[in-house]
Amino acid sequence: MIDVAGLSKRFGEVTAVKDVSFEAQDGRVTGLLGPNGAGKSTTLRILYGLLRPDAGRVRVDGVDVVADPRGAQRHIGVLPDNHGLYPRLTAREHILYFGRLQGVAEDKLGERADELIRLLDMSGIADRRTEGFSQGERMKVCLARAMVHDPRNIILDEPTNGLDVMTTRRVRELIGELRRRGIAVLFSSHLMHEVARLCDHIVIISEGIVVAAGTTESISEAAGEPNLEDAFVKLVETVLP
Amino acid sequence: MNPIRIVFAKELTDGSRDRRAVMSAMLFPILGPALVYFMMTSLIHLQTEAKKAVIPVIGAEHAPGLIQYLHEKGMDTKTFTGDPKAAVKDKSEEVVLVIPDNFPERMDAARPAVIELVQDGSRTDARPTIGRLQRFIRGYATEIASMRLLLRGVSPTVIRTVNVEDIDVASKQQRAAAALNFIPMYIILAAFVSGMGLAIDGTAGERERRSLEPLLINPVERFEIVTGKWLAASTFAAIGMTLTALLCIAAMRLVPLSEIGIDFHVDATQVIAIILATAPVAFLATSMQLALGSFARSFKDAQSYLGILVLLPVVPSMFLLLHPVATRIWMYAVPMLGQHLLLVDLLGGKPIPIAAYFLSALSCLVVGFALVLVTARLFQRERIIST
Repeated sequence: MIDVAGLSKRFGEVTAVKDVSFEAQDGRVTGLLGPNGAGKSTTLRILYGLLRPDAGRVRVDGVDVVADPRGAQRHIGVLPDNHGLYPRLTAREHILYFGRLQGVAEDKLGERADELIRLLDMSGIADRRTEGFSQGERMKVCLARAMVHDPRNIILDEPTNGLDVMTTRRVRELIGELRRRGIAVLFSSHLMHEVARLCDHIVIISEGIVVAAGTTESISEAAGEPNLEDAFVKLVETVLP
Repeated sequence: MNPIRIVFAKELTDGSRDRRAVMSAMLFPILGPALVYFMMTSLIHLQTEAKKAVIPVIGAEHAPGLIQYLHEKGMDTKTFTGDPKAAVKDKSEEVVLVIPDNFPERMDAARPAVIELVQDGSRTDARPTIGRLQRFIRGYATEIASMRLLLRGVSPTVIRTVNVEDIDVASKQQRAAAALNFIPMYIILAAFVSGMGLAIDGTAGERERRSLEPLLINPVERFEIVTGKWLAASTFAAIGMTLTALLCIAAMRLVPLSEIGIDFHVDATQVIAIILATAPVAFLATSMQLALGSFARSFKDAQSYLGILVLLPVVPSMFLLLHPVATRIWMYAVPMLGQHLLLVDLLGGKPIPIAAYFLSALSCLVVGFALVLVTARLFQRERIIST
């Protein structure tokens, strides 16, 4: 479970995130929805301990991210906005490298890698170098290395960005699978239909501010618009300068 | 497993698969000694050529005494016909000795006799031959002058006002080391070239590839990540350096240095000492490259910074070349200058105080480690992940 309260972050003169609070509960999919530049990536980077907030606090399974970033990172699997690979390492070597960095025991690591390769349907590419991989293949490697330590919380920053239909479906299935296992899934997107379809709980963010939170229905109802897209546009516009 | 070891192992695997980095790391150690070999052999060839040169002479019959003198000194002559100036100009001859018809006449009258040396002052390769020839002619002239004085009952020492005697205190090996001053520079340079690929790839490369953010999300301290990268790049640098040192020594043994009176001798213990003495530079060089690579915005940026950094090891070598100073113990504590001095002395067969090894190694490692801490600080900055 990820618990965010009163998060603020400034970069020089620019306020990127202002008083953001929400919860990503276990066994639920939480969607962070917002237009480009709304502060989604900044918020997520604070959650996984890469940026320090100016105010507010984040707890991941009870561990304070600001006070103990390394401790919190053990409980999170992250697909960050920047998700480059090492072109000269194979897919499996990526999984093993990140597993070791996460402190996965060496005797369990091989088994865990095999399991992920099966789960993500990548046995055909597992022992190839990642140079020349397609977007979808690259995404699978990134997801596998993010989950190698079997975290109870998973953060995905725009996971379906630039993917073809087949891989997008695969990612959706994976998110469903993670939810069934009782994992807290938090993902960001600027795609309405994606969020509406997958999420149990939606947090709409614009200009660094949370403008609405709830289920698809409760958000539509609050905005007085029958579908989520109209509700989203209406809510986002309320805070635009 | 220790995070430093995890990062170290990954960087080594990754680096050894980088064909471009490996190629440039290996090419430098091979190319340099090969170049040194060909340069030295052709230089020696020129030197010995001068001894074998046959001097074309016009009018040899006018000065049989001089020609005889030249032959006695081991310089052969041949009769030359044609235009001496044209022959020197079109480089078919290095020099032509012209003895005019009036030479015997003036000689007999004890008046200054003129002979001409036709030469091209811009030809450096002809200089040794001309230098020898001029020396011999002066020697002949002095001999004649002495005989004339003796005939008049004057001691020849009267005209010898100042005698110059060259006393060279350098041993033959030290003279070789002076001639080979550029080898230490080249070996130190190898550390900078061989570790560079890995150092750039692990810093600016990670940023450009956008693989740094995923790496930093792992529960590992930045210092551990940087140290792992440092040790991996240093391993490459040390291998490149050792290879360069070995090949340089091998090349020097192949060069016929004995022909120019230089005795080059390096035994196995010296080779080991050379490798041990220079290894700390590998750690210093890569720490500088990591720090600069972390500043750079892109791979290309980093490459241009590091291109300038490569000039750094040349500074102490140039300094020593222009200001040859007596070695003081504190000089060993100056990174790179210390190694340069050690190498010159090791190649020259001079005894070295044990403290020198420790001082030079310690200074490199301390500065290197400090720069690793600086790089770790740079990795702490939030800006490091923005591309």
